[in-house]
Amino acid sequence: MAPTKSASSSKAAPSSSAIHSLWQAYNDETPDRLKFVDAFLVFIMLSGALQFLYCILVTNFPFNAFLAGFSSTIGQFVLTASLRSQVNSENKDEFKEVSPERAFADFALGSIVLHFFVFNFLG
Amino acid sequence: MRLSIFALLSLSLGLVAAKKSPQEELTELAAAGNGVIKVTNERTFDLLTLPSRNWSAAIQFTALNPQRKCKPCSEFDPSFTAVAKAWTTVSEPERSDHFWATLDFDEAQQVFQKLSLASAPVVHFYMPLAGPRGRAKDTPLKYDFSHGFEAGPLAEQLSSHTPVPIPYKAPIDWASWAVYAAFGLFFLVTLPLVAPFLQNRWVWAAGSIVTSLIMTSGYMFTRIRGMPMTSGGQWIAAGYQSQYGQETQVVAAIYGLLGGSFLMLTMVTPTQTSPARQRTQVYVWTAIIFVVYSILIALFKMKNRGYPFSLLF
Amino acid sequence: MPVAYPLPKDLSPATVANTASLLRIVALALISGAAIASRLFAVVNFESIIHEFDPWFNYRATKVLAEKGFYEFWNWFDPTAWYPLGRVVGGTIYPGLMATSGVIYSFLHAINLPVDIRNICVMLAPGFSALTAWATYMFTKELKDESAGLLAAAFMGIVPGYISRSVAGSYDNEAIAIFLLMFTFYAWIKALKQGSAFFGTVAAVFYFYMVAAWGGYAFITNMIPLHSLVLILMGRYTNRLYVAYSSWYAIGTLSSMQVPFVGFQPVSTSEHMGALGVFGLLQIIAFSQLIHSHLPSKQFKTVVLGSVISIGLLGTAAIVTLTVRGSIAPWTGRFYSMWDTGYAKKYIPIIASVSEHQPTAWPSFFMDLQFLIFLFPAGVVYCFKQLRDEHLFVIIYAVVASYFAGVMVRLMLTLTPIVCVTAAVALSELLDTYIDPQEPDASAEVADVAAPSDNASAATPSKKVKKAAAAASAAPSNPISDLVNANAPAKTKKASKSRGIFGLDTRIAVIFNTTMMLLFFVAHCTWVTSSAYSSPSVVLASTNPDGSQHIIDDFREAYYWLRQNTAEDAVVMSWWDYGYQIAGMADRPTLVDNNTWNNTHIATVGKAMSSSEEVAYPILRKHDVDYILIIFGGLIGYSGDDINKFLWMVRIAQGVWPDEIQEPNYFTPQGDYRIDDQASQAMKDSLMYKMSYYRFSDLFGGQQATDRVRNQAVPKVGPTLDYIEEAYTSENWIVRIYAVKKEDPLGRDLKSANAFAEGKKRKRTKPMTRRRAII
Repeated sequence: MAPTKSASSSKAAPSSSAIHSLWQAYNDETPDRLKFVDAFLVFIMLSGALQFLYCILVTNFPFNAFLAGFSSTIGQFVLTASLRSQVNSENKDEFKEVSPERAFADFALGSIVLHFFVFNFLG
Repeated sequence: MRLSIFALLSLSLGLVAAKKSPQEELTELAAAGNGVIKVTNERTFDLLTLPSRNWSAAIQFTALNPQRKCKPCSEFDPSFTAVAKAWTTVSEPERSDHFWATLDFDEAQQVFQKLSLASAPVVHFYMPLAGPRGRAKDTPLKYDFSHGFEAGPLAEQLSSHTPVPIPYKAPIDWASWAVYAAFGLFFLVTLPLVAPFLQNRWVWAAGSIVTSLIMTSGYMFTRIRGMPMTSGGQWIAAGYQSQYGQETQVVAAIYGLLGGSFLMLTMVTPTQTSPARQRTQVYVWTAIIFVVYSILIALFKMKNRGYPFSLLF
Repeated sequence: MPVAYPLPKDLSPATVANTASLLRIVALALISGAAIASRLFAVVNFESIIHEFDPWFNYRATKVLAEKGFYEFWNWFDPTAWYPLGRVVGGTIYPGLMATSGVIYSFLHAINLPVDIRNICVMLAPGFSALTAWATYMFTKELKDESAGLLAAAFMGIVPGYISRSVAGSYDNEAIAIFLLMFTFYAWIKALKQGSAFFGTVAAVFYFYMVAAWGGYAFITNMIPLHSLVLILMGRYTNRLYVAYSSWYAIGTLSSMQVPFVGFQPVSTSEHMGALGVFGLLQIIAFSQLIHSHLPSKQFKTVVLGSVISIGLLGTAAIVTLTVRGSIAPWTGRFYSMWDTGYAKKYIPIIASVSEHQPTAWPSFFMDLQFLIFLFPAGVVYCFKQLRDEHLFVIIYAVVASYFAGVMVRLMLTLTPIVCVTAAVALSELLDTYIDPQEPDASAEVADVAAPSDNASAATPSKKVKKAAAAASAAPSNPISDLVNANAPAKTKKASKSRGIFGLDTRIAVIFNTTMMLLFFVAHCTWVTSSAYSSPSVVLASTNPDGSQHIIDDFREAYYWLRQNTAEDAVVMSWWDYGYQIAGMADRPTLVDNNTWNNTHIATVGKAMSSSEEVAYPILRKHDVDYILIIFGGLIGYSGDDINKFLWMVRIAQGVWPDEIQEPNYFTPQGDYRIDDQASQAMKDSLMYKMSYYRFSDLFGGQQATDRVRNQAVPKVGPTLDYIEEAYTSENWIVRIYAVKKEDPLGRDLKSANAFAEGKKRKRTKPMTRRRAII
């Protein structure tokens, strides 16, 4: 399952086999912890997309409520993505002062502050 | 008897046919002058400012003779002509409800005297005294040159008084667009050559240092206020809140020299291997710092009279 | 290894470290003390009073908060400002300053220290300046080390550029905003260095506090994205950048929308679009990196790169389209005028007329920063040498701030912190080099080198010269670690440096020079603070012929006359400069004040001031004006009076009524601005002229009356007033108050009524009707 194989086959049918090989690589190389986090990320993305569609298609009143809900998805998404990159063992030498435990504590604190503001803004 | 009556009738008919209304006469003059009536005698001026007028008139009082040395006049004249030309595109009857005229000092001096005008250029806007736009007072509005001699502000300001807004469009500055395009192309072409140059940090360092030196020497002040390099033989402007262009350069050079001396002391002298050489360098740079700093303080004292401190001078 | 001077040999590393931190704490405490003390000149010379104009409004708002509580303050509608429009105060202010004072007030009262709210407001700025010095210390510590931090804190504590807006009594937004600015930047740098979401959150929370406190928060909103963008363009994208920026942006933007005055601006105005754009770009780059880590094939990489760039361009195009369509507001005039410097004068004369918005000449830079201004480029060079991510931030901040400070005097305040930081770095570098006692060997061939770093690793024997030079230049020895190393006998110190300073005399020369410059700086700062920046401007001081101080208290005298002698709802008209002071000290409704949010209302006041009495009177009656207040400095030579500001009144009125008010009418035919016999008719008829010079020539008892500010002779026959009458003139004629007369009960116009009262017969315009007997 070499990436080179996908490169040569990608000339023939680029998108489908490239995505297929990407999915395979992801499935094999990612530890379970990170896959769990990734599932949460996908959920947040869907939730945000739904809210955005509602805003465009139905109404954007009250705007502050939409912004609060949408920002909570965005904020939670970036905090979770940050957590993911911080606990990823590949990035260990980038995050010298931030151990995985500290990363989780930061994540928790950030989420609390974020949702405090979200709750205040919901109105 | 019948012949004389007939003669009288025909004479009066002819006279009536031949007599033009003032407005028509002015329209003809304007058409002849490409939108601008050249006032060469007092009669035309009186015609323009007739007390029974139902038209408005914008009259430029100028002195274009090079002997008069009126630089603002020659700067402003093209703008006035351009706006008047834009007015010629207005359709009748609005076009003839407003006239543009220019009056040169050498050709109609007595009008200048009559209005006791002592400076040029001056633009007077005479509102109509009769008709739908008529005003009661005959005093003309004076155009305020605080926005400069450009045609754009002139058209904008006067549009609120003309029958219809003046359809003036600033001409597209093809020259500067061409320069920008040429610059962009040049940059793209030489990019491979220039790239390593741009990636060197010291190129950026030089640019940043020069920029901040220029800014902190008050360059934006001279540019915004349009201060000259020197004025009246002085290169130091009197007063704390003012400066000339020359001062920017001197002060920037002083700051650069002082900062550079500190850098020399920190970065260059420690690398000297010979003690004697290093010692002389240290003393030289320290002395330079002291002397140039004293010069800077003395310069500052000249600007801020109440400053109580001084070093060498 | 030769040393220029001996160091004590029997100190353990722990002792050195402890003593060093003790010294640091003591130094910071002394710096805080100096910072607070140097701001107290006004309080000592005069009294504890709120200065200037804007602080009076902040003080009034804080009093409402302290007396009535937060809910009343948040929903406060002030009907006495901008009469008759009123002002929604809760939604149009930055509440951070008032909330801070309110919290301090409640806390002190809770622990039974009944401090008056006025004293809290007066002393808030010096207190926060000590905190700013500490924040600057923390920030500079991240760039270089603690000694540079201490220097930066010391500079920040006493530098006049910051003192000018934070003396005791200057109760304005900048008092706390600069502390928040430095601390937000510190938190951002820490977040970037560590890649920590915690510091990102801290930066976001302090950013929220900053948004609540000052309109200049837009500077942070654009500096941090600019820094991130430059890092990305330089190829320095890392996961740490992603973590720091995303956590800051997501929480910070959401929290900034909590302030009612800011509202939805962060998602709908151009000033905030840069931050959004960089946020989107970072997400795209992070995602593409994730894919790249799973599929390292080069071909796929180029596809991904291409899609990243195209998505980025698409996003930019979307933002531009939305801006052109109008869904995203373009740059507001206040910020746009900093790029197009001629814009404000043409289109927003109110902004152009404020003296703080004028461009800066070089003496102002030198006055506010003295020798820091030329150490500043040296510090920037040092940053280029190191060029870590945080140094890049300092460079960008320095260049951007020096441009803005050159364009507007008021923005000198944003340049001051970074000048202090960079100058401290440069000076600390110098002192490090010359205090370090180690001397290099005179012979150039010595290859051995010690590379003492902070963790005091063992000196390595024989290394190559190149490596040695590199190591030495990368870490010029920290004197403290030298001290530690000097006492580690186990570590062989055979090696010596090839870089350093020979001799004790050179060291003494440079250190002496530097110390003298520092002392000169302190003397300069003290002089500037005491002479230039400690004037309350409500109270003026001059010297008597015998040298004693003479206090000119006209403003308060007149405001208190208003407070004690007029009806509580009497409306006062004055130029907008004095609105806040009248509201604060006289406690009366005003027509216009320093908020300047309604240009037409200000133009109405301008029109009333510059028109004749007959034209102005209907305007005055329509707005229920009872009193008119003007400032006149002609008697004692106070040049900030209304006649000097008169042309701005005319210009602003002309903007709204170009037919009725034309500026050239107020000049002589030759184009001079005169108030003597040659003044133009429009000038002589204007209400402002009449009010200023009414009965002025009577003062001089037959002698030539001179206006000391304009240096012109006032006409002997002064103006007469029919529609208003003089109510109060202060001791030095600085403040003059006029009462507006009510309509004549018989329905005559007031001019004729006065003429009748004076015994003049009315001229008959029509012939008398002949009377006929009815029969």
